[in-house]
Amino acid sequence: MNHFPEAWGRPRDDVYGAYDHSYLQTTGPKAHTSSPAVTGTSVLGVKFNGGVVLATDNLASYGSLARFTDVKRLRVFGSNAIVGFGGDVSDMQYIDRLLESIDIRENYSHHGNMLNAKNLHTYLSKVFYKRRSEFNPLWNHILVAGYDGEGEPFLSSADLLGTTFSAPHLATGFGAHLAVPILRRLFPEEMPLEEVSKEAAIEALKQCLKVLYYRDARSMDKYSIAVITKEGIDIKENEVIEGTELGFC
Amino acid sequence: MDKLVAQYSRPAHQNEFYSEQEQQDLNESLPPLSLKFSMPPIDNSASFLRAMTDDHSNPSCPIKIAHGTTTLAFRFQGGIIVCTDSRATAGNWIASQTVKKVIPVSRLSRGEDKPSNDPTPGLLGTMAGGAADCQYWLRYLSQQCTLHEIRHKRRITVAAASKILANLTYAYKGYGLSMGTMLAGVTPQEGPALYYIDSDGTRLPGNLFCVGSGQTFAYGVLDANYKYEMSEQDALALGRRAILAAMHRDAYSGGFINLYHVKEEGWVHHGFDDMNPIFWKTKLDNGEFSNVTSEL
Amino acid sequence: MASLLDHSAGGQTVGYSFSQSAAAPVKQHGFYPYTDNGGSTLGITGSDFAILAGDTRSTSGYNINSRMVPKVFKIGGDEETGEGAHIILSVVGFAADGNALKERLDSVVKMYKYQHGKSMSVSACAQRLSTILYGKRFFPYYVTAILAGLDEEGKGALYSYDPVGSYEREQCRAAGAAASLIMPFLDNQVNFKNQYIPGSGEGHALQAKKAEPLPRDHVQELVRDAFTSAVERHIEVGDHLQMLIATRDGIEEVFHPLKKD
Repeated sequence: MNHFPEAWGRPRDDVYGAYDHSYLQTTGPKAHTSSPAVTGTSVLGVKFNGGVVLATDNLASYGSLARFTDVKRLRVFGSNAIVGFGGDVSDMQYIDRLLESIDIRENYSHHGNMLNAKNLHTYLSKVFYKRRSEFNPLWNHILVAGYDGEGEPFLSSADLLGTTFSAPHLATGFGAHLAVPILRRLFPEEMPLEEVSKEAAIEALKQCLKVLYYRDARSMDKYSIAVITKEGIDIKENEVIEGTELGFC
Repeated sequence: MDKLVAQYSRPAHQNEFYSEQEQQDLNESLPPLSLKFSMPPIDNSASFLRAMTDDHSNPSCPIKIAHGTTTLAFRFQGGIIVCTDSRATAGNWIASQTVKKVIPVSRLSRGEDKPSNDPTPGLLGTMAGGAADCQYWLRYLSQQCTLHEIRHKRRITVAAASKILANLTYAYKGYGLSMGTMLAGVTPQEGPALYYIDSDGTRLPGNLFCVGSGQTFAYGVLDANYKYEMSEQDALALGRRAILAAMHRDAYSGGFINLYHVKEEGWVHHGFDDMNPIFWKTKLDNGEFSNVTSEL
Repeated sequence: MASLLDHSAGGQTVGYSFSQSAAAPVKQHGFYPYTDNGGSTLGITGSDFAILAGDTRSTSGYNINSRMVPKVFKIGGDEETGEGAHIILSVVGFAADGNALKERLDSVVKMYKYQHGKSMSVSACAQRLSTILYGKRFFPYYVTAILAGLDEEGKGALYSYDPVGSYEREQCRAAGAAASLIMPFLDNQVNFKNQYIPGSGEGHALQAKKAEPLPRDHVQELVRDAFTSAVERHIEVGDHLQMLIATRDGIEEVFHPLKKD
């Protein structure tokens, strides 16, 4: 005990060493580049009447270098779920291996593949949470799209800390700043899902991708887009953003 | 051949789920109060914990833990007086004004803590420092005391109980626990006994202790007026008055005055009273605190 | 005293200007395992009910992640519908920790029923939650929890926690981002702090108004007032108000809209 009673009972410098602020100063952009190496930027998703559409561009950046220009960041799981990955690409590939083995196990099990998108999202968020608790995170922010147990369209997000949330439209990374306001204006939350058509949803995502291409320095004009409906998954992985007008930049 | 393949191939991914043991630990519905804690898997976990929770060194630390403050206990001819305030703070925020900082440490007295005139057998522990640390470890201690009672067919001595606690805090020294507690009890072997135990592993027997951020103010009043031979009435009044002084001068203390008297037959609760009317009564009737104006 | 006697820390490097390497601890992890998802929760009890409420906004920094992420959960009920539950838990802070905590408590309450053939009492559940939180004393759950239900006498019971498990039974408690806005309001309106009975005395003899259990519709009004006011003054609170009300007949869930700006 020292003669500062208000410090009494608190960790003392002579026992614990000086207070180390550095444990706290890891938020902000610095932390996000200190561990992941090759990264993908935004993932966008919108629910529509009877399905979900998900989109990412095909770029994998190495810091500020546009390193790989043909990386597919939408992964299909089973017959009715898609995962869109933002963040570290090697961790994405790791998760992809993980999902593949689960898919194989599910398909060889006697009950067949029962995992829907909601189950998949629950599983992945737990993997993320467990890894963050081990201080060995999988450096991704993902969107999972598909159907829930009732057959309703499902769209939800999970990130490297295990945080989860879902909404009628979601975007990770830069998209959270640029795309979400556009999507919220096009499809207000009080608008029932029945009034959102598939075409409108796809058109909206293309518009968002274009805006991101204009202003997100880690994006590019080649993109992948996947549409999940009851009929199945329609995935296009070599699309190009059309009608770009870069003169105003 | 399989061996060779196994040597040069590795699984595509590690096991990403909880082991059987981990799952069992998570679901156990009646786990013992245990010494099994999950630690942050990093090199210097104490620094990490401190960076997260030490609101004194860094007022904007993310996790604010509730802290208790002024507590006192002293021996006199009629037993032991234990008195505390009731404020818990998390940084500058008053997390609660109704904390019970006197914790009965015994199986028999664990139930409803109603003010009553019948003494309840058992020890009393006090809470200063981290509220959760004190609650958890005093509960753990009361479990150990009960086991002692069952094994040895007689109540544990205060010396032994305080030793259990001190051994624990010493074992966890450097981990970041924060507690300053007093154990008070009267046993046939020792008579009235009072011990101070803190999270550094200190264990001291004594006549008089004040613990917490308001300790200096309480010591001031107590040292000036304390006499071993005083009557029970005077002792209770002194305990109350010392806490009142600390509540008045220490911003981290306040709320209600929680007063206990430990006698041979057990402890008696002497009220959990709002300090405000007591303060004004002390001032207006006795003319103390004359630095405070009474005009409205 | 200890620092005066302790020469070991600074003493070794004296005289050698080049041997200062060991001073700063090596930091190996640029990873910060927490985030704050904002929002606020609040609980009030009455003579035969307990209400836990929370907004449904989830934030990260200045972004709104989603407008519909509930913070108040039924514990020990059906996985999807929550049916059969008799305890409610609210968690605010880091949502992933909150979720993990909720699921852990939920499975504990279910295991208890399975092993003992009776529902866990709220007081037992409260103690258990404290132990769970304390189990992570050195790597805390970044959450402020409130637990509510009906006690053995059928009265409303509410327990509030700090992140490492110190707990206390109370009449009312606000937690989370807007706790500092809501709690003073509750002190005044539920516990009648600083309210006096008019004409009961002069000056310091004025009698304080005694707190007593409030009727349910009045409490629900208080909860709504608390949240509509918090929304006006805190950016992390808004969108919807979720209220779970534990009564003898089970748990009722009510939603109210809040401002979405």
